[in-house]
Amino acid sequence: MPALGAGMNRIWLVLRKDALVLRRSPLLFGILIAYPVAIALLVGLVAGYASSKPRVALVDEDNLPATVVLGGKRFHVDNTIKQVSRNVRLVRLSADDAQRQLRNGEVVAVVTVPPGFIATLEGMVKSPRLEVQLSHGTISSRVDQQVQALVYSLNRQLQRAYIATNLKYVTLILSGGKGTFLGEPIDVIGLQRSEKLLHRMPQTHRVHTLEDFVHDARLALANTGDALRATAHPIQIAHTGNRGRTSTLSAQVQANAIALTITFLALMLAAGSLAAERDENVIGRLARGLVGLGHLVWAKVLLASAVALVLGVAIAVAFGVIIDVGGVTGGEPWQRLPLLVVGLALAGGALGALGALLGALAREARSASLVALLVVLPIVFLGLIPAEVVPPAGWASTVLPFSHAVSFFRSALFDLSPWGEVLRQGLWLLALGGIFGVLARLGARRLLA
Amino acid sequence: MSDQPLLAARGAGRRFGQTVALEPVELEILPGEGLALVGPNGAGKSTLISLLAGALQPSDGRIERRKGVRVGWAPQRPAQYGRLSARENLELFAKLEGEADPEEAAARLLERFDLPGNAKPSANLSVGNRQRLNLAIAFLGAPDVLLLDEPTAALDPEQRRRLWGRVDALREAGGAVVFASQHLEEIERHAGRVAALRDGRLVFAGTVDDYDRPSADTLFA
Repeated sequence: MPALGAGMNRIWLVLRKDALVLRRSPLLFGILIAYPVAIALLVGLVAGYASSKPRVALVDEDNLPATVVLGGKRFHVDNTIKQVSRNVRLVRLSADDAQRQLRNGEVVAVVTVPPGFIATLEGMVKSPRLEVQLSHGTISSRVDQQVQALVYSLNRQLQRAYIATNLKYVTLILSGGKGTFLGEPIDVIGLQRSEKLLHRMPQTHRVHTLEDFVHDARLALANTGDALRATAHPIQIAHTGNRGRTSTLSAQVQANAIALTITFLALMLAAGSLAAERDENVIGRLARGLVGLGHLVWAKVLLASAVALVLGVAIAVAFGVIIDVGGVTGGEPWQRLPLLVVGLALAGGALGALGALLGALAREARSASLVALLVVLPIVFLGLIPAEVVPPAGWASTVLPFSHAVSFFRSALFDLSPWGEVLRQGLWLLALGGIFGVLARLGARRLLA
Repeated sequence: MSDQPLLAARGAGRRFGQTVALEPVELEILPGEGLALVGPNGAGKSTLISLLAGALQPSDGRIERRKGVRVGWAPQRPAQYGRLSARENLELFAKLEGEADPEEAAARLLERFDLPGNAKPSANLSVGNRQRLNLAIAFLGAPDVLLLDEPTAALDPEQRRRLWGRVDALREAGGAVVFASQHLEEIERHAGRVAALRDGRLVFAGTVDDYDRPSADTLFA
């Protein structure tokens, strides 16, 4: 036990020395904090770009007029296109330009209005066709969805006119009067007038039967408007107000931001500070019995863990304040801080052990920092790729601490019952920290060479 | 008891990959003794001192240290934390060496080695002051054996005189010193024995009287 106490004391002395050195390097420490925050913002911007409007070419081979009248309703073509293309940016191009831009990726799809489109539309008997060509690649399915959404919006605009036109005929059948059909004038007696005429006729069994039919037909046609609208919209979406977090304050974004920041910090700090012991030529002095290589590695792991803890809590508190001030609901950021602290310590330690391994392999502080920087980006991006989308990325990130840290933080901050997930991810982080720590201890012998 | 070596290399050698830095060496350091390591650059002097200090582990053989013997080591390139002041370096290593009163030990060595006691980071000290701090750290923990690698290379004459005064006092008290040096005057004045190395091999071990200038000239040629 005294040996254990002496070992802990030595780790504590090295840890305190490192904290002092860090305090005396404000520029380095500032950059270490600012850099991951900047990267987190850039990742956010890239994520934002993922939901930006794709550019879609509109090829007008029908010479669309400025206005179209359908069922008595006047449509301004440009305004209608603006209204329905909220999710895409439609650009009018010639057919050749559109094909060229589709090939070189400047537009993600080409929507062609073929000749005769407006005439077919105005006839209101047949559905006109729009031709759609999509680019190949990873976002083609998303573009397809957005083009479908565009056509859906256009159909919603047009179907009102279609329903109104159809209802005019129904009204004509109900009330009678003059109208046109396929361009020919027609005069219709109407069900109401038919019923009155039948009433004045001698009341025979046949007349009664006809009266009953006319009565039932009137009732049925009176509901045609609702039936047509229901046919057009079997299911309608009702927006019932906005609740919950904005996407920028979502559980995923917070968990990613904290994990990303501490990953950068812990990896680079542990790698740089272990290699710096060799750069300062102190490693030999320590290794001759003052501080064993194992103790030295664990001191760096604890340093990474402590810094990750402080910074992670600071970020979580900042998020909590923003959420409180903004009156955003969802999640329990304050109540869950103690659980987050455990996760930060474990994640910081596991990342610190990986950083120490990099520092031991690189041997020089500058090389170690560079290697850590090069390693941290793939670690983070592997962790950000959903495992169900790219399974190999999921397998790789299973043996790295980042994804476990994200899962731990997300569950700790927002799950109603976080214990199972937190325990599972905590054990992963402990195991990874232990494995990387042992490897770092073995690798630290290189520092003496 | 007094004839038992304080420190001994028993066939201790060191390789770095395929490169042999030091072939197996047999060497004993006795109480009261001054042992000078001589040889051209790259001969293996620093490697041997590092092995004796325990800063390097031997690839062959072993290093034996008499029970209870404490060793102080000053490597050729100063080994200290550049962002800590001289006082903070001394206090940190005093704690690691297990000094009963680290602050007092640091203050004592600051005075003895004429080091600045301010908060100036040691990286900003002059070359001579950094070497003095390097040597002062070696004196922490009341060492019985001092291992000094080119200790006077950056010291002015007065500081050299003071250093050798402290080293001689240690030897008179039953301690020992092993030092690497290129200065024959220092060797003749402060060493009883000489171990000469060349290309990682021990080529001479004997008294200073047996080690004469002509052979030294051959050695360094």
